[in-house]
Amino acid sequence: MLDSLTQFHRPSTIEEACALLAAQDMKNVPLAGGTFLAESRDSTVQGLVDLSRLELSFIRHTGNEFVIGAMTPVQDIFKSKVLCGPSGRLLKDAAGKIGSTLLRNSITSGGNLVSVFPWSDLPPALLALDAEVQIRKGIPKRTIPVQALLEKSPREFLDRAELVTEIHVPVFGPQTGTSFTKFSKTANDYSLITVATRITLDGGTIGEARIALSGATRKPLRRNDAEQHLLGKPVSLALLAEAAAKAAQNLDLTSDFRASREFRTEVLQVLVRRALQDAIRQVGS
Amino acid sequence: MKLNLTINGNPKTFEISPNSILLDVLRRAGLKGVKKGCGEGSCGACAVLIDGRPRNSCLVFAAQCEGAKVISVEGMGNPANPHPLQDAFIRHGATQCGYCNPGSLIAAKALLERTPSPTWDEVKEALDGNLCRCTGYVKRIEAVLDAASFGKNNK
Repeated sequence: MLDSLTQFHRPSTIEEACALLAAQDMKNVPLAGGTFLAESRDSTVQGLVDLSRLELSFIRHTGNEFVIGAMTPVQDIFKSKVLCGPSGRLLKDAAGKIGSTLLRNSITSGGNLVSVFPWSDLPPALLALDAEVQIRKGIPKRTIPVQALLEKSPREFLDRAELVTEIHVPVFGPQTGTSFTKFSKTANDYSLITVATRITLDGGTIGEARIALSGATRKPLRRNDAEQHLLGKPVSLALLAEAAAKAAQNLDLTSDFRASREFRTEVLQVLVRRALQDAIRQVGS
Repeated sequence: MKLNLTINGNPKTFEISPNSILLDVLRRAGLKGVKKGCGEGSCGACAVLIDGRPRNSCLVFAAQCEGAKVISVEGMGNPANPHPLQDAFIRHGATQCGYCNPGSLIAAKALLERTPSPTWDEVKEALDGNLCRCTGYVKRIEAVLDAASFGKNNK
């Protein structure tokens, strides 16, 4: 329960929403789907700014990218007929792993990214796809990589008057494959390890590689050393296993009652190797 | 603050607080078919349709629904005139304690409105947010598939 809540705003434009968030005399916070805030006990929140009337629920294909409005329910991503190809596959696989049908109809793409938790499914997928976000502060806008948004935490990165309004995902050609894995005890439980991969082949060798992890790490992150290890080399099982081993090195993995650090380290390598194999299998399909 | 909703086809106005949760507002209005199970989005007993989408009403601020059309299990049918899904749940024994039924029925209704002839897997997926701890999961899938074919034969 938000005990100090006295105001509920329903702006109809982005400019109006940003002005409300900029207010100095009130602590207004943006409200997307509400699944986090409805349970929150943050007694500093005085006002909610409902973003549902800003017309930010859409999925568009613009030729070289997919544009997803920040208020698009993740169920719409999961069921989208617009999303296709390697990017579409990864986005749909990730969105379909979020919670349940009932939750996916509430949770939004922007909310899942900005209120990122270790178990959030879209952020690692967006990292693997080199996605960018459009951020508005009233009329001014800027576009930044999702990776920059996730470097610290999105809340720290964003100015209080700024809103993530769109997610831009590049379209990749038939030489690219992607794979998404959520490893958990039950389909609805929190992820123990999440792996999102993208491989782009260049002739007989690996031209681009992305390995993004979440679930077992405090925030979603990429494994640059493991990605670098793959570049310019012909695909072999041994190579993928080496990269997977590198992906598990120098990581401060979560250890809790669900799974120990040691267990997660072992499983992580297997999941990354399989995810790379799966991505390569998807090339050309 | 005021909240205007169309509940099960009837326009209603409520006096709510900005932090009121939709589930509590509906139950206070007498819609006791909307169940509070876990209160944190895990069990689905509180599911209602909000502008056609099945959502957990325990995780929705009532104020988010200004102007929305809300359908609860009370809007589906009654003992004298049950909805084909309710009828199928009874015939298939897809109910024991019954606590999960209102949410499961709402999720099933949302599925059949979008997908009138679902597959087994589509039903399973549509009900993935509705926990049932006594009847189990097979009978209600059979019931939904039966209701779907009943709907087809009566068109």
